[in-house]
Amino acid sequence: MSANFSAIIRAAVFIVIALVLCGLIFEIAGYPGVQTFDAIIDGAFLRRNALEHALRWALPLFITATGVVISFRAGYFNIGAQGQFYVGAICAAFVAEWLKGYPGAVVVPLCFAAGMTGGALWALWPGLLRLRSGADEVITTLMGNFLAGLLLVYVTAGPLKDPSGSGQQASSRPLEAAYRISTSNGVSPIIIGIAIFVGLAMWFLVNRTAFGVLSGLGGRNPTMVKWQGASVWRIGLASFLISGALAGLAGTIELMGPNGRLAGGFLPAHGFTAVLIALVAGLSITGTAIAAFFFGGLASAALYLPVIAGLPSAAIDIINAAIALFITAKSRFVDRIASFWRRPWTTS
Amino acid sequence: MKELPGVVLASRNATVRYGDVVALDDVSISFSGGMIHAVVGQNGAGKTTFARMVSGLVRPAEGSLEINGRSIAGGNVNDARRAGVELVHQSFALPPSFTVAEAMQFGADGGRLYTRAALERRWQAHLDALDVKVSAGAQIRTLTVEQQQAVEIARALVTDASLLILDEPTAVLSPEGAEKLFERIRRLRERGVTIILILHKIREVLAVSDTVSVLRGGRLIDGPLPVADMDAERLASLIIGPSGREFAGDDLEALTGALSPVAGGADKTSAPQSEILSMRDLSTRTDGDGPPLNSVDLAVHAGEIVGVAGVEGNGQRTLVRAISGLADIMDGSLEIDGRDMTRSSLLARRAMGLRVIPFERNVEGLSLTSALWENWSVGQLLGRPLHAAITPKGLRQGCRAALDNWDVRYSTVEQRAGSLSGGNAQKVILSREMDDAARLIVAAQPTRGLDIGATAFVWEAMRDARRRGCGVLFVSSDLDEIFDIADRVVVMLAGKIVGEFRAPFDLASVGSAMTGARA
Repeated sequence: MSANFSAIIRAAVFIVIALVLCGLIFEIAGYPGVQTFDAIIDGAFLRRNALEHALRWALPLFITATGVVISFRAGYFNIGAQGQFYVGAICAAFVAEWLKGYPGAVVVPLCFAAGMTGGALWALWPGLLRLRSGADEVITTLMGNFLAGLLLVYVTAGPLKDPSGSGQQASSRPLEAAYRISTSNGVSPIIIGIAIFVGLAMWFLVNRTAFGVLSGLGGRNPTMVKWQGASVWRIGLASFLISGALAGLAGTIELMGPNGRLAGGFLPAHGFTAVLIALVAGLSITGTAIAAFFFGGLASAALYLPVIAGLPSAAIDIINAAIALFITAKSRFVDRIASFWRRPWTTS
Repeated sequence: MKELPGVVLASRNATVRYGDVVALDDVSISFSGGMIHAVVGQNGAGKTTFARMVSGLVRPAEGSLEINGRSIAGGNVNDARRAGVELVHQSFALPPSFTVAEAMQFGADGGRLYTRAALERRWQAHLDALDVKVSAGAQIRTLTVEQQQAVEIARALVTDASLLILDEPTAVLSPEGAEKLFERIRRLRERGVTIILILHKIREVLAVSDTVSVLRGGRLIDGPLPVADMDAERLASLIIGPSGREFAGDDLEALTGALSPVAGGADKTSAPQSEILSMRDLSTRTDGDGPPLNSVDLAVHAGEIVGVAGVEGNGQRTLVRAISGLADIMDGSLEIDGRDMTRSSLLARRAMGLRVIPFERNVEGLSLTSALWENWSVGQLLGRPLHAAITPKGLRQGCRAALDNWDVRYSTVEQRAGSLSGGNAQKVILSREMDDAARLIVAAQPTRGLDIGATAFVWEAMRDARRRGCGVLFVSSDLDEIFDIADRVVVMLAGKIVGEFRAPFDLASVGSAMTGARA
């Protein structure tokens, strides 16, 4: 079997271990462990409309995660998807506000263009710093997340503030109905279409273009592509821009679809879950689709946890974190299980 | 000084495995004291593994070891050291920022406090006693390679070692430096130290050692045999063994380091034609990767192999990077095929027919965790725009055809490059770099670490390229190899070209140019 297949086995084994561990922790903490998983599985995949609810979270996560895949494959650890997601949503919100009154057919495409450009620009400066002076992109993109989060707070409490808003969380004025691309349930043909298009385009980019092969080689061994005469600049910048633009696209979808407005600190874990999805998927586009659906299911199940198991919905974050820990850890034991399906030559 | 013991080291049925690979296979051998013993064999024959086993770095899976009559469990450096064994590694392990005295103290016994002066006095005395002419206060990085090696040997002798193992000590030395090393070793023998030399070259074995033992494929073929009644031819056939391959006479001698001191250039076919590479007065900026180039003039003609000789670290790396457009050129000019390329990118130079076989096969040449077809197709892909669509199927087919053509042993083109042996990995690079459009081939240490068969293959590929009218620049620190293959030899020293020689080459004069004796 292929190396891809064994990567899937590997991810599955880690997820099961993480879930069992979380179950034990919940049990020790006095919550019913078994019932918790019952609630998760039920809420995520079995309940009526569960598929739709899982998709609501999975679609934007998938789009952001494919962007993460593009930059990780090229060897750039852009973990700033969260910030790029926010900046994309902010840019789209501004365009929607400025062009208020124009027909949706004009405004909506412009909002998408603005959102993608914003996300790309928020990835551009860490990219430039990395390529010009070698500044570690892990640090700069991480800092960019905080900056973008504060920018979001400023925008929702300042320029775009909804004066009628009451609650503690400031938010922008709701988008006009003509600009919405879905109802608050977050699943519509447009969003599904965008996700499918992104998936196909990125699959093609990774598997059927010179960029795909060269960035894969450069990500694994930058010295070697340099000795072949590759321009690290072009490949590097393209990777940063594409990953930023996709996070910005997801931000725009969240704004113009399910959310319908900007709220300070909305979806604070979106970008990090996307990084997790990319890692679980072993940086393959197909794997990302599967993993995004799984984590989308977990996200929708979060709503049922308080009802059924009495757990706070943040328990899902514990599960995510446990999976992240296991997936990034190296385990000879699990590697051996996974490599059972491999031919000897594919092991390193 | 010491009473000479009978047998210093004995191994019985020793077998060492690395994973599934058997590095040493059932080796039983014993060395008597007070002599210089040579252990020889091809790359991968198990020489270094033998040295590592004796010094306690690897534990034999089966068999036993006895040192000075004491049985040693193996796999423990301290046990081996207490029994009197010291190993001087192939690549030195001295910290470059330390002074000699600090480096010697590091790893010696005693955790007491010292003043710098006391430390230097103590070790200066030790160095003087061994006739090592190095100041104990000098920083390691300011020493020459030969001095560093002398300090390594002195450090190994701190603990009154009775058995000293040197792993390929001449690999980093000029012929003159090697002669000085042998002198030092003979003096140690007079002091009663037993020495095991892991060697590569028959000439050196015959020059310095009392006995010789031959390893091949992890097995002991014969030994220890007295060197007195051994000749180069017999030793060469022991090392190579019964192989199906026929070597040209000169090649065989060059492969085993038995080439006579004046040699080379016999099979040259045609007179040199136009200049393919011409560097004039080229200087580069200092960049921490060896000495910069200092007004280098160098020409390579079509149909010519130019050898670049020199002790490693004298600017060969910078030379290759400067030709590849990866060094910062300050002054001078560089032309490829008559066109000025001084400021051109590597991609533009490749378009002019430049091909590079870089020094570090596994870092600069291949991406070990990527598939073979990906490694093979980089060159073609870089000629296209990034968004250009590719057909992996076509690339895989092209790769398969090329690898078959170059006789690479592989199972599928999806295989990772890291799963190939060194010789096969080098052939993948050759198949990529030596295409029909190649005009100038820069080969940097292309045979390092390869076994005899693969080495001869690489040489043949270079000669083929010459026949097709390519210019070849062949960088190597192995003079035998250079003499055998090159039509003309230049010698590098401290970033300069200090000598140029034409066949037949004279080992003594090239060797003295390498050390700067005749700059």
